Amino acid sequence: MAKVILSTWRGEEIDNRGKPLEDWAESGYKVPETYDADTKSRAFIGWDGVVIFDENIDAVRLAMEYAAQYQKYSEACGRCAPGRWGGRILYDLLDKIARGEGSFEDIEHLKEVSQTMMLTSKCEIGRTVPKPILDLMEKYKEQFDECITENKKSKEYDEQRGYIAKITAPCMDMCPSHVDIPAYIEGVRDMVFTDSLQATRQTMPLAHTCGRVCPHPCEDACRRANLDEPVSIMELKRLGADYETDHGLGFLHPQEPKPLRNDGKKVAIVGAGPAGLTAAYYLGLEGIKVDIFEELPVLGGEVAVGVPQYRMPIEKYNKDIELVTSLEAVDVYTNHKVDANRLKELDKEYDAVLLAFGTRLSKKVRAENEREDMEGYWGAISMLDKVNLWHKYKIGSPASNELKDKVVVCVGGGFTSMDVVRCSIREGAKKVIMLYRRDEKTIIRNTTYEEYHEAVEEGVEFIFHSAVSKIVDENNKLKKLIVNRFELVPDPNGGRPQLVKIEGGDFEIECDWLIPAVSQSADLSILPEEWNLELTSWNTLLTNGRDYMTSRPGLFAAGDCEYGPMTIVNAVGQAKRAASVISRYIYDGKVSLTDEEIMEDHLNRLKVYDKNEKITGWMPGIPRNVSEKLEVDERKDNNLEVNLGFTGEQAVAEAERCMRCYYISMVAV
Amino acid sequence: MSSQKKEITITIDGKEIKTQWGKTILEVARENGIYIPTMCYLTKVEPIASCRMCVVNVEGVDGMILSCQEKAVDGAVINTNTADIWRERQKIMELYDVNHPLECGVCDKSGECELQNKTLEFEVDTQEFTAKDQHRPTQNWGFISYDPSLCIMCERCVRVCNEIVGDEALQISVGGYKSTIVNVKQDDDCMECGECMAVCPVGALVSTDFKYSSNAWELSPIPASCSHCSSHCQLYYEVKHESIDNPQEKIYRVTNEFEYSSLCGAGRFAFDFENRVNAKDKEAFNKAVDALKKAETIRFASVITNEEALLLQKISQISGAKLVCDDAYAYSQFIKAYSQTSGKRFYGSDLKSLSKSQMSIVLGTRLYDDAPMVKYHLATSVKREKAQVAYLHPIEDKRLQNLVTKFVKYEPGSEEGVVALLANILIDKSKLDEDAKKWLDNLDIGYISAESNVSEEELDEIKAMMWKKKSFTLIAGEDLYKHPKAKNIAKILGLIDRYSNFELLIIPPASNTMGVSLICDLSDKASGYTVGYNSVGDFVMSSLGDGDIDMPALNQQEGTFTTIDKRVVPTNPALGYNGYELLDIAREAFGLNYEYIIDLTSQLPEEKGFKNIAFDNLPDEFGIDGENKRGYLIDNSEVSSKLLPDDTDDIESFDGTIVYLCNDRGNFNPFTNKSKMFENRGELRGSKQFATAAKISDGDIVKFKVADIEFERVFSIDTSLKGTIALNPIYDIGLSSFAISSYRFNKAKIEKVGRSNE
Repeated sequence: MAKVILSTWRGEEIDNRGKPLEDWAESGYKVPETYDADTKSRAFIGWDGVVIFDENIDAVRLAMEYAAQYQKYSEACGRCAPGRWGGRILYDLLDKIARGEGSFEDIEHLKEVSQTMMLTSKCEIGRTVPKPILDLMEKYKEQFDECITENKKSKEYDEQRGYIAKITAPCMDMCPSHVDIPAYIEGVRDMVFTDSLQATRQTMPLAHTCGRVCPHPCEDACRRANLDEPVSIMELKRLGADYETDHGLGFLHPQEPKPLRNDGKKVAIVGAGPAGLTAAYYLGLEGIKVDIFEELPVLGGEVAVGVPQYRMPIEKYNKDIELVTSLEAVDVYTNHKVDANRLKELDKEYDAVLLAFGTRLSKKVRAENEREDMEGYWGAISMLDKVNLWHKYKIGSPASNELKDKVVVCVGGGFTSMDVVRCSIREGAKKVIMLYRRDEKTIIRNTTYEEYHEAVEEGVEFIFHSAVSKIVDENNKLKKLIVNRFELVPDPNGGRPQLVKIEGGDFEIECDWLIPAVSQSADLSILPEEWNLELTSWNTLLTNGRDYMTSRPGLFAAGDCEYGPMTIVNAVGQAKRAASVISRYIYDGKVSLTDEEIMEDHLNRLKVYDKNEKITGWMPGIPRNVSEKLEVDERKDNNLEVNLGFTGEQAVAEAERCMRCYYISMVAV
Repeated sequence: MSSQKKEITITIDGKEIKTQWGKTILEVARENGIYIPTMCYLTKVEPIASCRMCVVNVEGVDGMILSCQEKAVDGAVINTNTADIWRERQKIMELYDVNHPLECGVCDKSGECELQNKTLEFEVDTQEFTAKDQHRPTQNWGFISYDPSLCIMCERCVRVCNEIVGDEALQISVGGYKSTIVNVKQDDDCMECGECMAVCPVGALVSTDFKYSSNAWELSPIPASCSHCSSHCQLYYEVKHESIDNPQEKIYRVTNEFEYSSLCGAGRFAFDFENRVNAKDKEAFNKAVDALKKAETIRFASVITNEEALLLQKISQISGAKLVCDDAYAYSQFIKAYSQTSGKRFYGSDLKSLSKSQMSIVLGTRLYDDAPMVKYHLATSVKREKAQVAYLHPIEDKRLQNLVTKFVKYEPGSEEGVVALLANILIDKSKLDEDAKKWLDNLDIGYISAESNVSEEELDEIKAMMWKKKSFTLIAGEDLYKHPKAKNIAKILGLIDRYSNFELLIIPPASNTMGVSLICDLSDKASGYTVGYNSVGDFVMSSLGDGDIDMPALNQQEGTFTTIDKRVVPTNPALGYNGYELLDIAREAFGLNYEYIIDLTSQLPEEKGFKNIAFDNLPDEFGIDGENKRGYLIDNSEVSSKLLPDDTDDIESFDGTIVYLCNDRGNFNPFTNKSKMFENRGELRGSKQFATAAKISDGDIVKFKVADIEFERVFSIDTSLKGTIALNPIYDIGLSSFAISSYRFNKAKIEKVGRSNE
């Protein structure tokens, strides 16, 4: 809750001017009272209103500067008549008033043009920019009137003041990589797929990958959901990448890669998964020398050896990887294990080291007699390694040697466990069972509706509310599992329902394999003990979640080894930020964020998406498009990509559902 | 998910309308005669949604709804014109008018300007809004000029360049108030087709040639069909007197029904190919009558109307003279052979189906130069349907990179083998009867693959491109028709047609080749005394004006053409003709007493699929949804013959320096080359590798003989080319370009004879 002078944010009507401090109302929103450690905010202004922290604020200048930002940012838009000219007129009129040359007629024109922009603009940016300006004109009418009647400049008109702005959208804010989603969707709508791809790659190098297997948190913040159903954001991403690959266009970068700097500065990255690749890409684009060290014989990390071919075809992922490795500044070393000693060397040799080695240790299910050396006990990570290395690279041997005609039990509930059971089906297992402690609804929430239903279609048997309590072996060979059953008992105090074991509900499953896929943990043996690195309570590397530097200066961490097992898009977002921080750190030894990044964090804290907002100006009832999937008989015994993606017609229709909810926010300091 | 073709009921302005789910509010309104104003909307492309003029109210929905993009939802009650909506539209027009230069008096668009029209419609008579003006100089893009200060950023031009033409040359330089259109291919691959200019609602994009030459309202539009290629696109020749001193009519420009239809650069800019004569030349006429009477052969070009073709057929029936038309003969033989195995009279595809095809194979044509309209529709399929495109040709074409998903290079001469290889992967073997199966089994894939240089991996890739696609087109082009093994190539194509999901599009090589091949009984070789009608001969009747008697060009004639879509479309004369016409000579020589050539329109042979419809009764319009309603479609009945191709044993390909007969820049023939904007002296263009192999260098004057024609040309190196095949145009060799019966790839000995001064 924030101390404010005045707030109109999200319909708040707070005006503490002239009131004694003890009577002040507080804002109910996490508005940025301070900009950064050294700077206080004077005002925050955005799509949904204005918040004033400084009683001496020059409201006329504030309105004018906000309109000016729209002018500047209309470079990202300016694609409709009302927005293009309206925005310019808005600014010109406000500047005229602020410099003491305005008239009351100008105020009327401002209102008129604002009305047209709010009603007819193509994107939300045009529709929302007038809102806080009109608020200021109302709340600080006396300041505007004074400028006009006395023909004088607004009080701060000639002063040097800081106004820091950022463009966002609810989906962009929710996306951990902050992908410019409306822009890549617009590229699809325009059928200029190269534009679409370049928009994605501004913050997301893995367009093929995150156009296929991203769990799309953005879709939970899609304003279209307030009207009917969210836009199918994720699937629209692959169109640009597929177009580039299909037409052999050569890699399109968001900007021309800078030549290798050759200034002696270099960065080491441990791990060539999504996080490592992303950091390498954005450092490489800047011409900063990067060496990636990868323990496996192949690049790509868990997406390569964990995510199965039928979900993420390697030939597509390889394009994302090649995008990175084709950069002059990036070199990769595979089969290169980094252990504590090697890490100490890297730490000396390089100006910064980014740890991005993921979480590759399968956690145990915590059952009695659980032993990794038991025949028939197989960690999910190692099982998926085997499956994928064989199918994608012809390394090793087929997992069907182990799994064909066998009974497989997987304990899990997340994406990895889904991959385990669906791969087991494809390897010819006789029976595949998934044990899950919670219910169907939760497994869908943890993965996706499609993922769960496709697994069911393929013949996976799901047993909910169950957990392995004991593993029974015969001469160290797994024979059967003793399974507890649970039930959900509502909390009489209204809290979360509790899982309670049903006494006498135990049952047995005879099986050949138990594959635990409950979670993964980071292999911390790589960290030199004497560094005494700070860790999280769940045993990953601790950073402040903003600049991704660990407790050791120059040592950064991003992706799963920092956060714990999470999504690709999370790893990409962290790594992009880490790369940005590193790109400055290696020159000035300081850990700093750009204004863009500071604003990104402020907005993320404030929350851009408002699920209760009423949508106007869009036709409700236009259904979300659903892409074609392979029929179960076409897919369950092979590794063909299951999701065929949108047809052209579907893609454009889906892109037309996007409401382009761009917003501008600005902090006056 | 709603079902795709669900019937819905909506109400617009009180009118209850039944329609189908999937249409936009604007589409439904227009189909029902309800007017909603727009500035950026263009029927033939997806909604652009930049102008926001088309906003409407929907009951129960807050705010204004964009009718061009939003689909009509069952039960919606829509009001298109309330006082509030009108006021917002007026405001938008006020914004459009901000700083729009008040130079209507000298603007080319004045009188047909959509900004002007809407400014008046919405009664914007004062300017309340102002913004700081900016300096924006005019740009010259060759045939087209761009004035950014007149541009309203409706984005139509960018849309058509991408979605219709497929060039992606025009892009939006986004910058809010500073936004402009940029031509990123100004210096190389922009094909200067003028599509952008045609759809521009204001005077921002205009023809450099036409600029400042006439007011729009002074011009009379003559509805016609383009005569340059087999697409025969709809156009208007816009005519007016030459000058105050000279009352003679002149074509000032070409326009078209740009909402629904498109043109290439030749159609739009190569309009002044008329043959002007001052008076009837009685002496030449008498000679022509005599010549035609004694002719043993009449050799002609298929750049001709259906009616003229029928007249020649009638002459031939009376006089017994053989009819020889090289392009049409080869094409008709090809189609005949194709029919024998396919069981269809014609190929099944057309341009519209191509634009909806999800996977296409292009074979035997340098598509970009040979058939711009086919390229346009292929581009649309790539953009709208995400179509996969395999392009098989001996010369890779980088200009098609953004459309083609797989280039496959084969050896020139090996087309029969390539088609056989395609048959092997495309044909659904489970449907084959015993004999057909035997034929297929007899193919020596390894041998053919080696000789044609098309690897089995490449074929597998093509096969993989078909995965889960639902509509398929195989485009065959003019390399094939005069190939020594043309007949068997056609038969194999017919077999593919019969036993695969592919529909064929066999591009007619020249203007009315399709019509001629249906109407005339053609012979393969000229013999004896030969009259050339727009072709070579002992007595030459020429529309180029270089023969023994002058003939009118196709922009001076009325009649019909038969298009690539198998559609008979009407054309009208843009300019009068003062000399004698073919009918005058036929009347005198053979008593063919028709008053007008179009008296023959209703007599076109019904047994070939033509209809007994008089010229004046032929429709010439498009539906409000863009449906082509011009003329009529020829009946495509089945034929009973179901032969099999011959075995494919000897695949001949050749090495060394090869010359490929290929026009460029949409300069189709001597008629396009006659127009002032296209007039060009062709060069032999080849790669560095070709230069090395032929021991010549850039700028050399070289001599070579191909297709029995001696060429002397300047050689220039084209760095976009690879290999030892050079491109040689034939648009600048006069009527002999219509009398070539050889295959397009020719082995040629190149001899250096000098150096160009340039």
